[in-house]
Amino acid sequence: MGIQGLTKLLGDSAPGCMKEQKFENYFGRKIAVDASMHIYSFLVVVGRVGDQVLTSESGEVTSHLSGMFFRTVRMLEAGMKPVFVFEGKPPELKSAELAKRGARRQDATAELEAAKEAGNAEDVEKYSKRTVRVTREHNEECKRLLRLMGVPVIDAPSEAEAQCAQLCKDGLVYSISTEDMDSLTFGTPKLIRHLMAPASQKQPAMEFDYQLALKELGLTPDQFVDLCILCGCDYAPKISGIGPGRALQLITKHGSIERVLEELGNGGKYQVPEDFPYQEARRLFKEPEVLKGEQVQQLKWSAPDTDGLVQFLVHEKTFAEDRVRKAIDRIHAAKGKASQGRLESFFGPAKIVSSTTGKRKEPEKAAKGGKAGGKASGAKKGKLGAMGKGGKK
Amino acid sequence: MFEARLQQGALLKKVVEAIKDLIEDANFDCNNSGFSLQAMDSSHVSLVALSLRADGFEHYRCDRNVSMGMKLANLSKILKCAGNDDAITMKSEDNGDTITFMFESQNQERLSEFDLKLMDIDSEHLGIPEAEYDATVKLPASEFQRIVKDLASIGDTVEISVTKDAVKFGTTGDIGSAQIMCRQNKSVDKPEESTEIDINEPVALTFALRYLNSFAKATPLSSHVMLKLSKELPIVVEYYIENTGRLGFYLAPKVEEEEMAD
Repeated sequence: MGIQGLTKLLGDSAPGCMKEQKFENYFGRKIAVDASMHIYSFLVVVGRVGDQVLTSESGEVTSHLSGMFFRTVRMLEAGMKPVFVFEGKPPELKSAELAKRGARRQDATAELEAAKEAGNAEDVEKYSKRTVRVTREHNEECKRLLRLMGVPVIDAPSEAEAQCAQLCKDGLVYSISTEDMDSLTFGTPKLIRHLMAPASQKQPAMEFDYQLALKELGLTPDQFVDLCILCGCDYAPKISGIGPGRALQLITKHGSIERVLEELGNGGKYQVPEDFPYQEARRLFKEPEVLKGEQVQQLKWSAPDTDGLVQFLVHEKTFAEDRVRKAIDRIHAAKGKASQGRLESFFGPAKIVSSTTGKRKEPEKAAKGGKAGGKASGAKKGKLGAMGKGGKK
Repeated sequence: MFEARLQQGALLKKVVEAIKDLIEDANFDCNNSGFSLQAMDSSHVSLVALSLRADGFEHYRCDRNVSMGMKLANLSKILKCAGNDDAITMKSEDNGDTITFMFESQNQERLSEFDLKLMDIDSEHLGIPEAEYDATVKLPASEFQRIVKDLASIGDTVEISVTKDAVKFGTTGDIGSAQIMCRQNKSVDKPEESTEIDINEPVALTFALRYLNSFAKATPLSSHVMLKLSKELPIVVEYYIENTGRLGFYLAPKVEEEEMAD
């Protein structure tokens, strides 16, 4: 779920920490991928029509494998070096959130039945998406697939986002790929969104820089964690009525959740939930259960095992053989892409120099990709036809 | 106030044409000594460094150091409106948010003025150390352009190796391989065709042809191109602009990949 409204808040209050980046520019970069989150999204979208998803001939779901295989191929083809991190045991504090999700899933299952009965195709798709659940089986199959592709896999002791963030902090990877903004709360120096988006969407990657975010928000790392908890995270309930903007105001003004609560306690209009374990949540963000430094296995990338992949995907999961083989060829063909050097590695890091004149470009609306302003364009244009109109009447 | 007049406006047109596909936007830095630009492409593999000396202009005035942010595609659109024989004058007020380009035809009969909105952008500057290079090769610019174009039809990368009396360009691709060698030739009668090699140590490096082809768009600026190479360092591809300055391109080499266990 992540942190509610954090992307928009950063877009509004710290636009300098976000940068669009071309997918191709990540060649040679090691990237930690939050596997669990991506598997979930593959199950929701890949090959879905109504409540039907991709399956093998024997009826087993294969959306997760298809998504994982082709999107990972795309990364490898661009010369990236992904390492996939799988979720371990969720922290206890998340059980309330997980229970809520479970309940929502059950509601959705009931709604799905109703929608099917009523024959409402739109609702069938909507509710069936909400019933998606990632099983152990899905995870194990994806791990097997990734190992065959020669890509390293890490089992996180607990939250995958926290582990990804730690890999990045330890300098083992350049950045992490996730759609979950939690990772920023865990303090990952860099986070990339939309990296695993399908090529057909032509969506540029969006890179977030933690240090710049803190600088532009004017917060310390501790205050940033507090801000995220106030925005609404997985570990503690939200204080109703406080949105991201208000949360930022409060933290900027008072400095910490303790002080904010004191202020709110003085007959304010906000109701603080009785059970608000913010201290525990804070601890989870600051000292999550992760593998550190040397506890992490050595990360090794190897050539894909063509026979193994064909056996698994084609013979066991009935993928089309030519598509699988072509994809594997693309990985082989990409060899050498990762070898392109970057100028910084020779001349040292770049220094940012800003223009002394001119207008600052309006930060693009990052929250939604839709284009605004298209409607108005036709309004001013005069039409010759308008001259004739009167005459015809 | 910044004001600079170039009699040979075509020069500015050629410079912008040479770099506009490599970089999207850049800050043009103006100070007393001249007009310069440094920018990297978005993948940080290559860098453009342009400098035009103040004395290369017929008239040059810069009261205060300014960095003017421009989108190269927009600048190119405007400069395309200048005739090849036009003189170009650039003008910008302090704290103004536009730059004016004035084009004068040779016979003074046509005078046009274009204003370009400036943008406030962040550009990334690299501190490039002054270094002595292992090898410096001076080639006819058109020869270099032809070599990288021909090789790009065979492969993606080129190995450039320099020895005492020759420079070799080699590539391998799916359809086969290619080798082009240029011998040292200090021709006195035809200086424009000379090839000169200055070498401290033999050197061989591999580069992506895509970028070299892009650099070669600067060919119309100069009769010769200088290639400067050092072991395990970016190559410099440099075009001297007579009496005015230089346009240099830096390109990071291909590096040995960390071992891939097969």
